[in-house]
Amino acid sequence: MTDTWLKRWLYTTNHKDVGILYFFTSLYFGFVGAILALLMRAQLAAPGSNLLSAAYYNQALTMHGLIMIFWFLSPVALGLANYFVPLQIGAKDLAFPRINAMSYWIYLAGGILAVLSFFVPGGTANAGWTTYQPLATLALGTGPTLAYLGMVLLAASVTLGSVNFMVSIIWLRATGMTLSRLPMFTWFMLFTIIAMLFAFPTLIAAFVLASTDRILGTVFFTSTSIQPSILWDNLFWFFGHPEVYIVLLPGFGIIANILPAFTGRPLAAKNAILISTGLVVIPLSFGVWMHHMFLTGIPVSLQGAFSIATIAISIPFDVITLSFIESLVRGRVKFATPMLFALGGVILFIIGGITGVFLSSPVLDRAFRGSYFVVAHFHYVMVGAAIFGIIAGIYYWLPRMTGRMYNEKLGKWHFAISFIGFNVLYFPMNLLSDMPRRIFTYPNQGDWATLNAMASVGAFIFSGAQILLAANLLYTWFRGPIAPANPWGSPDLEWTSHVEGIAPIAESGAAPPTGGWIGQLSGPPQGHETQSRGGAVGHYGHLSSRPIQISIGALVFLIGAAFYPSISGVAGLVVGAGAVVYAFWGWAKDDIEGKFVVPPEDVGDRWPFASVPKLKLGIWVFLSSEVVLFGSFLGAYIFIRAASAQWPAAGSIHEIPLGTFNTLVLVTSGLTMFLALQSIRKGDRRGLLTWMGVTFVLGAVFMGVKVSEWFNLGGSGFVLADPAMSLASSAYYIIVGLHGAHVTAGLLVMAYLMKKTSMGTYTKDSHEAIENFGLYWAFVDIVWCFVFPLFYLL
Amino acid sequence: MKSIVAVGVWAYMVLAVVAEVETFYLTTSFATVASVVTVLATSQAVAVVLFYMQLKDEQGSLRLFALIPIMFLSALLIAMLASLGGK
Repeated sequence: MTDTWLKRWLYTTNHKDVGILYFFTSLYFGFVGAILALLMRAQLAAPGSNLLSAAYYNQALTMHGLIMIFWFLSPVALGLANYFVPLQIGAKDLAFPRINAMSYWIYLAGGILAVLSFFVPGGTANAGWTTYQPLATLALGTGPTLAYLGMVLLAASVTLGSVNFMVSIIWLRATGMTLSRLPMFTWFMLFTIIAMLFAFPTLIAAFVLASTDRILGTVFFTSTSIQPSILWDNLFWFFGHPEVYIVLLPGFGIIANILPAFTGRPLAAKNAILISTGLVVIPLSFGVWMHHMFLTGIPVSLQGAFSIATIAISIPFDVITLSFIESLVRGRVKFATPMLFALGGVILFIIGGITGVFLSSPVLDRAFRGSYFVVAHFHYVMVGAAIFGIIAGIYYWLPRMTGRMYNEKLGKWHFAISFIGFNVLYFPMNLLSDMPRRIFTYPNQGDWATLNAMASVGAFIFSGAQILLAANLLYTWFRGPIAPANPWGSPDLEWTSHVEGIAPIAESGAAPPTGGWIGQLSGPPQGHETQSRGGAVGHYGHLSSRPIQISIGALVFLIGAAFYPSISGVAGLVVGAGAVVYAFWGWAKDDIEGKFVVPPEDVGDRWPFASVPKLKLGIWVFLSSEVVLFGSFLGAYIFIRAASAQWPAAGSIHEIPLGTFNTLVLVTSGLTMFLALQSIRKGDRRGLLTWMGVTFVLGAVFMGVKVSEWFNLGGSGFVLADPAMSLASSAYYIIVGLHGAHVTAGLLVMAYLMKKTSMGTYTKDSHEAIENFGLYWAFVDIVWCFVFPLFYLL
Repeated sequence: MKSIVAVGVWAYMVLAVVAEVETFYLTTSFATVASVVTVLATSQAVAVVLFYMQLKDEQGSLRLFALIPIMFLSALLIAMLASLGGK
């Protein structure tokens, strides 16, 4: 393959390249989100303004939130993480490079869907970034559907990325890079990844259900016989509150990472920060979501419990903030640009954090809910702390990425104007606690006009300041002076290792990590990639066209889904599905032909999963997120059952003997898959092929029975259009269909594994793929253990 | 793990399915059926995870990790149902 510039960027799987792609793509989406914000602030600059109509304002408001949170804030951090986490842990790349590239391209495809949604008749989603159902279902048309499907793709991308980062940080650390030595940015990315892993599947479930309501006519959020708004609130906010920390923690990690370099002393109370974040913030972040539901009529006892949990989660942040302050007080602070932004982030977080405490009280929440006080609170946290931290990281690592120094003076102006602009923009909103949010215009009453005018001026100052960031990036890239090898005197590996010949390792004093990528760098890199300072990376045998192909296929498929059942929609579905299948087939072919090989890693520090192989760990991590995905769907079903006054009697819809037979078929396939694994463990390849063949047949029989059941049910009136059956049929077809999709995917993988078995690939000592597939197949079995009784017997 | 153990697990799975269905046919109480199938389905899941997925032979840290999503999911399910309770 010719190593052209275009092919490099389209087909790259290198972590630095993917990081740069994430970085610039997220900046583009940040620009789109900022334009929408400026439109809103221009509209609200004066009372009674008619710059935007109510409809356009609502669309701008909704997409500003969705784009900024999902396509800018998290991805910009992922861009930095892609680039620097492998360097910080001493790895040559992430654990699964092609999956990393696929995460990026799927993220981009999701963003394209979201942006496309503006340009279809009727416009895009308009019910706010929380897309509260059933309110959001009032927005008819294809635009909102495209945006929702974009969200599904985005969440899928995040899940794949989470698995990849988690395995990388656990498994690819160089020898000597113990957890206690892990740089703070990598630690905080690990925390972020864990939260993403378990939060995003619920978001996928929520948006899949909302999308099927719009596309297929299911009634999860439109039925009047349950409480769909409560169902949505639970699913959305179970994801939504951890999302606050998902957005915040990378910025905090950067601040914690760079403080020692600019204070001249180690980070104060580092272990307390790690314990507070890992053992309190992350678990508790999944236990506070109902403070977003205080006004929905949930029981008072629940309000009390979630109020206490919400107050409790502020305690670890006190620990973190006090640790930062102690570092500053005891150190000799050098006010370089990264430090200024880090300091700004801490100050803004303190303000945002204090206002958050008010919102944890159910009583005060009644006064503040839905007001600009809330808008101020979450922007101080999610824009202030998160973005200021990330900008600190950009300046801090720019010399590492470009080999050149940024302009310090310009950087300081950037900080000063950003900090002033930010506070002029958001502080007045703290005082607008009597003004409702989400209104496109307002009367001239009280001091609303003055405070809104101030906020609008601040918005233009804050946005304008980011031009200085762009200017500084361009300056650094093209005119910046050559950077010293380690301009900040950091002890971290990305600055001190032999990677790319920057500097000797052992400047930190402690014994340096030696294994993994670091250990291999005593000589030139072996056939994997050649690297040079400044981000230019040459790839040899490390390009893959499959990730972008899969992404394009998924994009076309979902555009087709949004326009279903029109002819063009069906065509999109067929072409998109074909493209995805073709790309995965090519992926498998590349593997069989050995076209894409990830060189094995050296032995490194892998505690606490030292004895779990890399791919197996990846499967377990992936399945753990699948547990939450299926759990969310089944939880939604149980909620609907509990909320429904009437439900078709068990046995009246589904044929229990047929369901029992099919369950036994699937259960038996679990045994045969295990026997296949046992065969290859003994070196019996024929036994492997035989038992896997039996498993394949049993899986195919299971799917055949399912399909015939569906046809029979459809023919007997169990359809969405029947009001008496609509909820039951919605739940059955979507959830059982999702399980069926997993079984079908398993059958395809099994066919691939059988082909490789027949080629003699697997031996007594090398059969990891069979073992890992066995895990997946057993998981599919487990899900059915719950689906069968829930749908057939209850 | 020996194959005979795997066959034993399969036999348990089959018995559990039969027991679920029999409970459905023999009992008219929804609560009873729900309780029995919840216990049996959970026990089936545990059996598959421990034996077919061989979690029992894995490192303790992986076993702990496998519990995390169950913990979060339990919180979601319990609070979700409780949120239906009204004032």
